[in-house]
Amino acid sequence: MATDTDTGRVEGFGEVSRVRGIAFEYLSLGASVFGIFALAVLLVYVTIDAFDLANASPEWLLTYFLTLVVPFLGFCLYSARDRALTRRAVTVAGGGLVAVAVVFTLVETFVGQIPRLNWQLAYLFAVGIPLTGYLTYMGARGQPGSVGFGLVGRLIGGTAVGLALTVLFLVFDPRLWFLAYTLGVVPATLAYGYGYVREVPTAMTAVIPIGIVGTLGAVLLRPIVDTYPTTVFVYLWTLAIPVAVAGALVVAARGGRTTALAAGGVPLAVATAVGLGGQLAGLAVGGPNALVVLAVAGVPTAVYLHRVFDVGEGVIGLGLPVLLAVGALAGALVVETFGIPAPNPWVSETFLTEAPSRTASEAGLYPAIVGSVIIIAMVAVLSFVLGVATSVFLEEYTADSGVVGALTRLLQINIANLAAIPSVVYGLLGLGLFANLLGFGFGTAVTVSLTLSLLILPITIISAQEAIRSVPDDLRRGSDAMGATRWQTTKNIVLPEAFPGILTGTILALGRAIGETAPLIMVGAATTVFSPPSSLFSKFSAMPMQIYAWANFPQAEFRYGVVAAGVITLLVILIGMNGTAILLRNRAERGS
Amino acid sequence: MTDSTESPDLQRRSGLTRLKEGTYGGFFAACAAITLLTTVAIIATLLSDAVMFFAEVPIREFLFSTSWSPNPRGGGQTFGIVALVIGTLTVTITAAFVALPVGTLTAIYLSEYATSNARSILKPLLEILAGIPTVVYGYFALVYVTPALKATLFPEMSTFNALSASLMVGIMTIPMVSSISEDAMSAVPDDLRQAGYGLGATKFEVSTGIVVPASISGIASSYILAVSRAIGETMIVVVAMGAQARMPTVGETVLGIPYINPADVLLESGMTITVAMVQIAGGDLTGGTIPYDAMFALGLTLFVVTFVMNVLSDIIAERYREEY
Repeated sequence: MATDTDTGRVEGFGEVSRVRGIAFEYLSLGASVFGIFALAVLLVYVTIDAFDLANASPEWLLTYFLTLVVPFLGFCLYSARDRALTRRAVTVAGGGLVAVAVVFTLVETFVGQIPRLNWQLAYLFAVGIPLTGYLTYMGARGQPGSVGFGLVGRLIGGTAVGLALTVLFLVFDPRLWFLAYTLGVVPATLAYGYGYVREVPTAMTAVIPIGIVGTLGAVLLRPIVDTYPTTVFVYLWTLAIPVAVAGALVVAARGGRTTALAAGGVPLAVATAVGLGGQLAGLAVGGPNALVVLAVAGVPTAVYLHRVFDVGEGVIGLGLPVLLAVGALAGALVVETFGIPAPNPWVSETFLTEAPSRTASEAGLYPAIVGSVIIIAMVAVLSFVLGVATSVFLEEYTADSGVVGALTRLLQINIANLAAIPSVVYGLLGLGLFANLLGFGFGTAVTVSLTLSLLILPITIISAQEAIRSVPDDLRRGSDAMGATRWQTTKNIVLPEAFPGILTGTILALGRAIGETAPLIMVGAATTVFSPPSSLFSKFSAMPMQIYAWANFPQAEFRYGVVAAGVITLLVILIGMNGTAILLRNRAERGS
Repeated sequence: MTDSTESPDLQRRSGLTRLKEGTYGGFFAACAAITLLTTVAIIATLLSDAVMFFAEVPIREFLFSTSWSPNPRGGGQTFGIVALVIGTLTVTITAAFVALPVGTLTAIYLSEYATSNARSILKPLLEILAGIPTVVYGYFALVYVTPALKATLFPEMSTFNALSASLMVGIMTIPMVSSISEDAMSAVPDDLRQAGYGLGATKFEVSTGIVVPASISGIASSYILAVSRAIGETMIVVVAMGAQARMPTVGETVLGIPYINPADVLLESGMTITVAMVQIAGGDLTGGTIPYDAMFALGLTLFVVTFVMNVLSDIIAERYREEY
């Protein structure tokens, strides 16, 4: 654009107005970050409310900053081994402090008080958390950092999976599982192992029939047999031992027999000792649940430790959990000794382990968390099986032309349309079909899970299709050339290659299911239940339902305290799931 | 597996293999059929109860009556969708005022201005906006946005109002506009841009004068999808907008064109189609009553509207797509 506002030059021909271009660029940049910024501000406020940070004294913040955050940042910087990065981090931390203090004071003087925010918190959210996130990312790229985060991830992930397993047995009959495991899973696994070692394909073909027969047998035997081992032994036999064996097999594939025995045996022994010992001595810590959690968290940790020592790089990173634990303890000790006033967070042990209550300080989310875990487990199984089967059918089994091709296109268009139907309409489907017509009951786990599975099925299918499509055709042709049948190619080539992508897509879709509320209301899920469900057909609640119920409470303690804590819990679980999915995807991309 | 005959069995089609192949193929086909069955089941469920509803309440009354009260205390139920449509339109239009410009500008920035580094950071962050559970957005609107707006811009605003709910719906739908529009803009071949630069155009002129017109079909289809998403949005409005089916006063301008004062619908509570459904579901689910059937009639309306919009968006994206 020619401008003629110029001062000395003739006409200004050939001059181009940069102002408009630059203004537009910054306008569009502003638009890009507008939504993200708005959400970030809201998340900051909900975090402040959930953890009662507005009442955190500066001394308290400083204590934990020094004992927990600074050592952690030091670890990240040590791992990254980058002097320039260290210098930049220190500059940002120091300069950020000055900048935040100046800006905050200016805003307070000229604009007015910002509610529930002081400059320490502003520094924490504007500089502290982004800097920590960035340094964590950079630290994870170094060898000690990746080892340390890998270990912490396995400890946390294993514990979460272990807890989820114990929660599942609240509604699924452990004794039926015991029979099905003994009669179905064990013989099927043995048949597979026999066929694998001795190279007998018939034995491997028999795996699925054996499993089905065994499970059916278990269902038939369950009402007849009424003597069972105690729960500790059931869990030991059906959960802890197979996990340990699987761990030992993984190690055995890499290392010697002794280390394999140790990697499986040591966590198993510890878990058994704590589980049995706790129960015998009547302690609060032991018992069947402790056994499951310790075994499920311990075995992967042991396997990981073996791998780290085997590779021998970044072993020092294994100290990260110790560093964090010592830091947290030291912080608590200092706070205790000097009587520093500590905030009273709404997200607390009581909140996670107690039932809802009319009193804000006693209200808890436990039954809703249990409900969400059970629903997610069932939705995961249903939508994974249906999604993978459908996408395999669409990608591997159909033709592009003729009647089959037309049918495939119809299916494809239909799936795209299903993805765009509002979730509340799926709720009506669940209500009319599952709850009323088929009689699965209003708001039971079965109704809710079936409804949510159908809701996320299109997303699962579309992402699984993408994963399958990204498997190179050469691999398929190679398999075909060796005389493999279509199913053999699918099973041996396509699915293993596409598996990480499929898993990532499924977990992301599950993240959608865990936050859905409208379909749950439509099928009549309870807003508030006071005890965890005892069967698949008892009244259920889920985390978003409980948040919805609490948001209607007029008291400020609920609005700004309890609900905020519920939102944070839901978001943390969501971030955990999505983070796992993204890590899986990144690892698969790096691996291939 | 070799046969005793001279030639090897190249097909390897033993009975067991054939049985296995057939079983798996059949299983996959059956699973794929479930997706079709879902659509059929949705339509059948909605229609069967909606037909019962329209046997009780004439379609004319449903479409043109302005009063919605499915469970009045004193009796005399009325089922007029107009008030609900006004509520839904309020939310949709206000959300569109946020999502469409912001989403389009975001798409332009991502496709034309951003470095690949910035893009790799911004895109996942934008996806987060669509991944936050909607009940959480509703809570944000009710507990943070409304008090903030009340304290600064609109002191007369009521606790439950359409404005903060709509703002949240708008923010939630930004990534839907931006990702589809950006795909369309990235598909514009570089030749066109270079030709523009060759004619002496600035980057701004290339972006707004070449890239946007060339990708207009993709942008339009993203708009329609975002609006259809906003129409079907439930939890944000349920939590933050309240549940009062209000018919605003309709004034008349000089030419006899009816109008509604925006403040009248935006700053007050209201009810959308989705909220009306949730409200009925909160009370009575056993079936057989008129409100129960009304829920399915509303669901059918919603389904038809969103379905038509999706098909429309598909057609626009297909038909007006420039082939490069």
